[in-house]
Amino acid sequence: MRFVAARRWLIGFMLLLTACSATPSDSTAPSASTYIQNKGSDTIVNLALAWAEAYQTVKPEVRISVTGGGSGTGLTALISGTVDIANASRKIKAEEIQAAKANGIEPVEHVIARDAIAVIVNPENPIGELSLEQIARIYRGEVNNWSELGGEDRPIVRLSRETNSGTHVYFLEEVVRLGDKENKEIFSADTLLLPSSEGIIAEVSENPNAIGYDGLGYVTPEVKMLAVARTADQPYVLPSVESVNNGQYPISRDLYMYTQTGAPQSVLDYLAWILSPDAQQIVTDLGFVPILSPTAGK
Amino acid sequence: METAKGERWITWIIKISGYSSILFVSLILFFLAREGFPALGEVPLKDLFGARWYPIEGYFGIWPLIFGSVLVTVGALLIGIPFGIGTAVYLSELAPAWIKNILKPIIEILAGLPSVVLGFLGIQLAAPFFRQFLNLPTGLTAFTGAVLLGFIAIPTIVSISEDALNTVPSTYRHGALALGANHWQTIWGVTVPAARSGLLTAVMLGVGRSIGETMAVMMVTGNAPVLPRSLNALFLPARTMTATIASEMGEVATGSTHYHVLFFIGIVLFGISLAVNLTASSLALRSRKRAERLLS
Amino acid sequence: MSAKISVQNLTLMYSDGVESLQNVSIDIIANAVNVLFGPAGGGKSTLLRALNRLNDLADVDTAQGKIVFNEQNILDPATDVIELRRKVGMVFSRPAPLPLSVYENVIYGLRLMGERNKSLLDERVEQSLRQAVLWDEVYDRLNDPGTSLSGGQQQRLCIARVLALEPEVIMLDEPTSALDPVSTAKIEGMLATLKERLTIILVPHNVQQAARTADYAGFFLQGRLVEYAPGKELFLKPREKETQDYVTGRFG
Repeated sequence: MRFVAARRWLIGFMLLLTACSATPSDSTAPSASTYIQNKGSDTIVNLALAWAEAYQTVKPEVRISVTGGGSGTGLTALISGTVDIANASRKIKAEEIQAAKANGIEPVEHVIARDAIAVIVNPENPIGELSLEQIARIYRGEVNNWSELGGEDRPIVRLSRETNSGTHVYFLEEVVRLGDKENKEIFSADTLLLPSSEGIIAEVSENPNAIGYDGLGYVTPEVKMLAVARTADQPYVLPSVESVNNGQYPISRDLYMYTQTGAPQSVLDYLAWILSPDAQQIVTDLGFVPILSPTAGK
Repeated sequence: METAKGERWITWIIKISGYSSILFVSLILFFLAREGFPALGEVPLKDLFGARWYPIEGYFGIWPLIFGSVLVTVGALLIGIPFGIGTAVYLSELAPAWIKNILKPIIEILAGLPSVVLGFLGIQLAAPFFRQFLNLPTGLTAFTGAVLLGFIAIPTIVSISEDALNTVPSTYRHGALALGANHWQTIWGVTVPAARSGLLTAVMLGVGRSIGETMAVMMVTGNAPVLPRSLNALFLPARTMTATIASEMGEVATGSTHYHVLFFIGIVLFGISLAVNLTASSLALRSRKRAERLLS
Repeated sequence: MSAKISVQNLTLMYSDGVESLQNVSIDIIANAVNVLFGPAGGGKSTLLRALNRLNDLADVDTAQGKIVFNEQNILDPATDVIELRRKVGMVFSRPAPLPLSVYENVIYGLRLMGERNKSLLDERVEQSLRQAVLWDEVYDRLNDPGTSLSGGQQQRLCIARVLALEPEVIMLDEPTSALDPVSTAKIEGMLATLKERLTIILVPHNVQQAARTADYAGFFLQGRLVEYAPGKELFLKPREKETQDYVTGRFG
């Protein structure tokens, strides 16, 4: 028994070493392990790791290796055929699809979770809704007092995550620059850069001058979430699992996994499991927004 | 024969461990220089000493960080030195035995508190208090960081100062008192000056403890890389060099410009603390020479 | 012969009870060398420290009786202790110059009084150092640290700094115990001159010194004053057996 177990472990290890892409295991060897390579976005890497770990209890024979490196890195690896699944916090670009096709690979997109950012203020703050434009002007340092937005005469204290956080970069691109790639605006220099989500929640819950942002999953009842409108003439929407899933809440994005057509059954099983309630609970636990209707691919 | 051989071995081992510290320091220096100096080639000097720090968009101005560190450290000293030495004087010269027996363990506990715990207290208690008490936009300021760092330095300053004061012979005190000095005149005129070099050492070690402190500072100073415009800056958020290195080094791509600039900040930090140490040790040496002449 | 200080029925208890005085009455005679001697722990130093209230620093539990100095009971809590200590100067057994120059050591007490007149200070430094028989040895190194002097010189410096305050009484607690015979002789000789102008209380560091210097001598044993008499009388014809045993070296 021991010997067999050891050999199984050894095979797994060798598979890891050679890093070959997995092939569906033939049924004659029930103990043979399957191997899935998963690489890409740093935003998703913790989620992917948590899934891979949980999947061990579902299908112990499937081994999943997860590495980060960024969305581009993951997609490049998929194009060159060295990974089974590429994680991406953005949609695949047209030129990447072309490159893949040139390699004989047809990328398939799966939305696996959503990432929403709540804009939060102190519960004492009478402001309840802001447009993206207003939030951008606050964070650029163009608006410095809540009274300019119809609130109380208080200085605005801007809180942000540190620059190394993916959330920071996303907020910079989608809110401060309003999604405009040509826009070179950056955060006002006096924006407080806090090292943790908890730090932002703590300061906002305590300081009526503060405004902050954080992943929806991190928001606690001690702070007030703002309803956000894409533009001033559109409806103001509070972030929630529903409003994120139906696309009404503006500061949210889909998180993707890309495979290629004709992927092995083990990979498809894994992706199907990811959309299961169990796996989506992990999404919630890690501060992302789960997907309500499991529809893989588009 | 055998013992002579054993002795030679031991001498060698001691020698090697002595030299190894020199080796380590020079290796660290070499590594710092190798990783940090390329920054000078990659970022124009004018930009490197610019006013804006936003590395993910290529703004590498380190002035705000230098100012942040100086502001917080000097603030910490202004708090830590009077409080620390005052407490030491109280403990060694004035406090009745039972207060001493309570205070000393408390200070030792304070010395053993992990700085994260202090940082947490800073966020939860100090920052809200200062915001309301001083009517500031936010309590996450250089001042809050300075207070916290002062507290981190105080136990070190107190225990070493107290030792220094206790080694002052009691004949000094009695001599001064017998000449008609009152208690305070004896303390400030005789005891404290006699313990001067020990007190300086205490302050330097306290400074060392607080300059190197990162975690607590990172949690309460707000980390906004603002270039101070007035003295008021003490009551505004600030970003220190240590906090910058600590929070950005983990994610930065090895060999990138950002990476090199972070190491360059390390060099600047190293240079500053080297200068402080040299000044302090030359001061201590000078006063020790005097004290040696006086006390021998 | 008049009493400069009159100690009346003084009983002192330390809270730890180690050293104490039991019902001591003694008149310190003006313009004389008053020697208080006896085995260690007899209460001599305790008495000295009571005379300038330096024992305020120690844990004195109870104090009964009176110490009359200039018609005032100095044990009275209302006594100006600082003023008292200027008038009743004290020299300790271990020479301990302050960490200051020779000059500053001498005028330390005057500085504390707020004296700033440079010519008066200069004058007082020379006068005090001359009285302490030190001037000729240090007049050219007044700015050197006090601790750079030899042990004997340091002790005379400590005497000079007390003299600079022009006290009425000077108390010396085993002033020569750490010194060589030459320095000891210098200090003993100095006392003989000084007593013309002020009152001296000396705790000698052995019986020989007591016999050499005493105009009046008091023998202390276990907190009691056994005998008090003019020096010659006490050392040649002691009344008490205890005194006799001690001065002849039979115990102690």
